[in-house]
Amino acid sequence: MISAALAYSITQALLVLVLITGAFIVTRKDLLSLVSTYQMQSLLLAGIALTLYSVEESPMLLSLAALTLISKVLVIPYIIKKIQKQINIPRDVEFHYISPIASIFITIFLILIVYGAFTNILKDLALSSLFYLGAVFGISLTLMGMLITFSRKKVITKIIGYLTMENGVLLFSLFITELPFIIEVLILVDLFMIVLLATILAIGMDSSIEAFQERFQHLHIEDLQEKLHLHRKHGGAN
Amino acid sequence: MIDTNYIVYVLLNTALFILISPLYMGIVKIIKARAQGRIGPPLFQQYYNLLKLAQKERVYSKKSSAITRMTPYVNITLILTASLCVPLVFAPFNSGGIGNIILFLYILALARFFMAIAGLDAGSTFGGMGSSREMSVSSVIEPITIIVFAALAYTLGTTDLHQMFQKTSQEMTILNPALILISIPLFIVLIVETARVPVDNPETHLELTMIHETMLLEYVGRDLALMELSHAIKQTMLMAIIINILIPWGFATQYTAIAIAVGMVLFLIKGTLLAAFIGVFESSMAKTRLFGLPNLFVVAFFLSMLTIWLEVFK
Repeated sequence: MISAALAYSITQALLVLVLITGAFIVTRKDLLSLVSTYQMQSLLLAGIALTLYSVEESPMLLSLAALTLISKVLVIPYIIKKIQKQINIPRDVEFHYISPIASIFITIFLILIVYGAFTNILKDLALSSLFYLGAVFGISLTLMGMLITFSRKKVITKIIGYLTMENGVLLFSLFITELPFIIEVLILVDLFMIVLLATILAIGMDSSIEAFQERFQHLHIEDLQEKLHLHRKHGGAN
Repeated sequence: MIDTNYIVYVLLNTALFILISPLYMGIVKIIKARAQGRIGPPLFQQYYNLLKLAQKERVYSKKSSAITRMTPYVNITLILTASLCVPLVFAPFNSGGIGNIILFLYILALARFFMAIAGLDAGSTFGGMGSSREMSVSSVIEPITIIVFAALAYTLGTTDLHQMFQKTSQEMTILNPALILISIPLFIVLIVETARVPVDNPETHLELTMIHETMLLEYVGRDLALMELSHAIKQTMLMAIIINILIPWGFATQYTAIAIAVGMVLFLIKGTLLAAFIGVFESSMAKTRLFGLPNLFVVAFFLSMLTIWLEVFK
């Protein structure tokens, strides 16, 4: 076992690295490195949970680390990379409202606002500075995920934004309020659902949501309608 | 008052800089060549190049003025002066304020100014283009460099590079989140200042891509050797800042010959590793177009702002 002071300084370093991965997700355009960065971020979160476990020894932290490692480091990135191979687009170059450069500036202010807000809320709790930092970074990461979700046009980057948001929530819950383990598992199930849905939608993934709807109408609905029509005809004949 | 300690420092530091800088340039070249499937130049090729160039005569364009003749000497003098701000293996007791980062940055800016006017001096369109690009890139990167160094100064509580290195070598800083954060923008500054991929490509002489090389096109022989040496020293300087801030083990805190020798060997190893990393980094990146560069700079800006806040809210 390592000493508490060392564990806290390792955690602090890991926290900073998590935020750096967040900043990279906000600015990067090529999809493959987006997923790898997300993978790295989840690995860092698992590392944080493990380091905290070495001090607090609550089995929940260990299971959280294991769960994060299996689902977010291995399975989800694997599925997303598979989708990317199918849709075969290397970069995300379309943005809603704000460009990555603008979003990184906004991120700076977001962190500042979160800091400001938390100083007022948490000052009575007498937390150690590490937990304060963890909470602030958690919420900032969530907001960064939100920023990605609404500023990018491609569905796949939106999903990465959503996953980043969830990582932020996990980070927050590691440091401030311990979420019940069952909720963490449920969130993971949600994540799997969203990634699986994405796989099903993979044919339309190379477009924006608006274009996808059109494509959906053109390809599938009309196909379906024709099939239905045919079926009825056959039914009628029989 | 000048003490012997200080004189030893000046001589040793300058000699070390001149001796090892071409080596690191060579290592980056070898790593890049290996990444491309070539064997690459011999390890000491940069030294041979410099020696060969030093023996050749100078040729000047008829249109050029004294600026062209002066710049190589001004440049090497400025860069060697700046190198005194960055101790490689030990810092003297009393540095007399030479380690000041503001001074350091302004000396580098002055060297860059002379490079740019030397590019313009011969009146070739090529050189002018390079100078114009260099100035536009530096006008964007300089505010960021200042913020990066401000964050460094804020984190370590001093504006003196000598004191910073002494401080980091005495504390265990590898897990200091602020210093981890600051190492990334410092690395970006290193890449930009030494004109490497993705900002510039040191290998090509294609007019579309180059920035730094364009300004050197008018130089041959001894002048070129001086310009290349000063470029190599500038790279070692910025590398030394990263090394002595992030992994300062071996930076001599006692003034004994053994401590300094160990420091030199360790610095050689750490520098080799960092140079290899630069090579790998350069090989794994493609050159970005000029207008894509602010993206890289903004990441550096973000991380250094974050460092400042991390310290302010601690």
